[in-house]
Amino acid sequence: MIPNKYAPEYLQRRNKRNILVIFIISLLILLMLIISMNTGHIRLSPLELFETFLGEGTDRQRLILFQFRLPRIVLSVLVGMALAVSGCILQGISRNALADPGILGINAGAGLAVVLFISFFPSTTEAPVFLLPFVALLGSGITAFLIYLLSYKKGEGISPVRLLLTGIAIAAGISAAMIVLTLKLDSETYQFVAIWLAGSIWGSNWRFVLSLLPWILIFIPLVIAKARIIDTLNLGDVRATGLGLAIEKERLLLLGVAVALAGAGVSVSGGIGFVGLIAPHMARQLVGARHQFVIPVSAMLGGLLLLVADTIGRVILQPSEIPAGIVVAIIGAPYFLYLLVKSNT
Amino acid sequence: MSNLFVEDVSVGYSGSPIIEGLSVSVPDQKITTIIGPNGCGKSTLLKAIARILKTDKGAVFLDGKAIHQLSTKKIAKRMAILPQSSEVPSGLTIFELVSYGRFPHQGGFGGLNLEDLKQIDWAIQVTGLSEFKDRSVEALSGGQRQRVWIAMALAQDTDILILDEPTTYLDLAHQLDILLLLEKLNIEEKRTIIMVLHDLNHASRFSHNMIAMKGGEIIKEGSPSKVMTYSTIQTVFEIDVNLTTCPFSHNPIFHSYQLSRDTQQLFENANEG
Repeated sequence: MIPNKYAPEYLQRRNKRNILVIFIISLLILLMLIISMNTGHIRLSPLELFETFLGEGTDRQRLILFQFRLPRIVLSVLVGMALAVSGCILQGISRNALADPGILGINAGAGLAVVLFISFFPSTTEAPVFLLPFVALLGSGITAFLIYLLSYKKGEGISPVRLLLTGIAIAAGISAAMIVLTLKLDSETYQFVAIWLAGSIWGSNWRFVLSLLPWILIFIPLVIAKARIIDTLNLGDVRATGLGLAIEKERLLLLGVAVALAGAGVSVSGGIGFVGLIAPHMARQLVGARHQFVIPVSAMLGGLLLLVADTIGRVILQPSEIPAGIVVAIIGAPYFLYLLVKSNT
Repeated sequence: MSNLFVEDVSVGYSGSPIIEGLSVSVPDQKITTIIGPNGCGKSTLLKAIARILKTDKGAVFLDGKAIHQLSTKKIAKRMAILPQSSEVPSGLTIFELVSYGRFPHQGGFGGLNLEDLKQIDWAIQVTGLSEFKDRSVEALSGGQRQRVWIAMALAQDTDILILDEPTTYLDLAHQLDILLLLEKLNIEEKRTIIMVLHDLNHASRFSHNMIAMKGGEIIKEGSPSKVMTYSTIQTVFEIDVNLTTCPFSHNPIFHSYQLSRDTQQLFENANEG
């Protein structure tokens, strides 16, 4: 992260430019936080927001801001960060720009675990809801392990292409299983599962923020510390080995971190795709290929993207809502198509 | 004794051995070229030496220690590898890509130190890339890209360079350009170079030591004048050559060749007629 004093001048310029990009995105996030806080069914003006923050506002304003709006806003930023960094890692280690926790079936694994859990425990009681993040994490972990196991070939290790293909196959299988399962649910649990699958920021209270925050605080700095290793893996297995990288060990570790971040994120938000795909792409467009910049910028863009999506989803069809996952898909699909068209020419 | 040698090595892909019980040593500070027809195991041998392929039996020894017992990072300070693949990661400048060569010398965190920078600058300069160094690698031609990869390997600061067909896909001038660069590195920097080449005349012109392989076995090894003989080339490649002497290196080269079976046919026809 620190600009390197020994790097040539143009590289230092580039580092400075990258830091400017980070600063601008920070401003955008701040701006979006304010917009998001004052929009909703009950509008809070910037002045009212300021007063409420200082403890001046009415009880009603405080309740809306601190108990409903703020935790949801914080949560959407954190989930966006987790998914974006997860996608960033997966793209880095598979050397495939299409890798993303959604496409690799890691989100689907978490989803299946949640659906299974709900079909055994009715969702009306409080306890199962609180257990969901852990269930989702277990699901994503098992799925990732399965993908790794199936794409591992003795003597050759993991090939990026095989990893991706296995992931896509498993994701398809899990989705099919999930549809069969949802047919057997009662209407109330079906409702919840539908919301979960659409990718809504449903866990909007501070407890969920607290359950997600440690994952972000531990894993994202860890990934940034491993930026150079991801850079090296990006050169391909033979070159990375030649440079002295223990590729299998590092790849397994990074895969584990990607799964943990995706699982933790998805558990409080439902299956949101595209963030993990788009954010790293945009980051690379903005700051180049070096992961010391790509990772933090991906995280910030992911947070921003999901915050925008959730805010739009909250206001566009008032008083009802569109899940953030659907809004992201509406923004993300054209961007994705644009990338595909551009890469063909 | 040589620093790098292969002893009784068997190696192959998923259980089927390509090389069995092969031993050979690589002379220090010399250019060694492995030649042989497609599928003869020359790339496999090179990959085994570079620890990319695990040996099923036997071992590759570096400084008297079996290579699989050394840490991969330690080996990376002794030998650099240039594989065949031509794809480059997008969005990197030449300086950035060459700086990746410092990976085995860098600590866990930290950026580049002065020593790293010196090495990178020297590598860029010696490969003639100074004027391009802030340009994107993707924008370069094939020959320049190959120079960038060589620069990265040089930034790694190893005394051994391993190259798998470094001249493939390059036009004639750029092939020569890369080989002259390697020769210069060998003479001026005393680097040990081991490579696979398809062009026998290039191999003969630039090597001190040649290893001719066929069917996973070494048919002949030694100086170009020892290996580049009519009978050895006929055995290894099944071609008949008209040997002459290279005016530049004074090593044997040939100016044309014929498939051996066609030559035979020619003789048979002549006898009948």
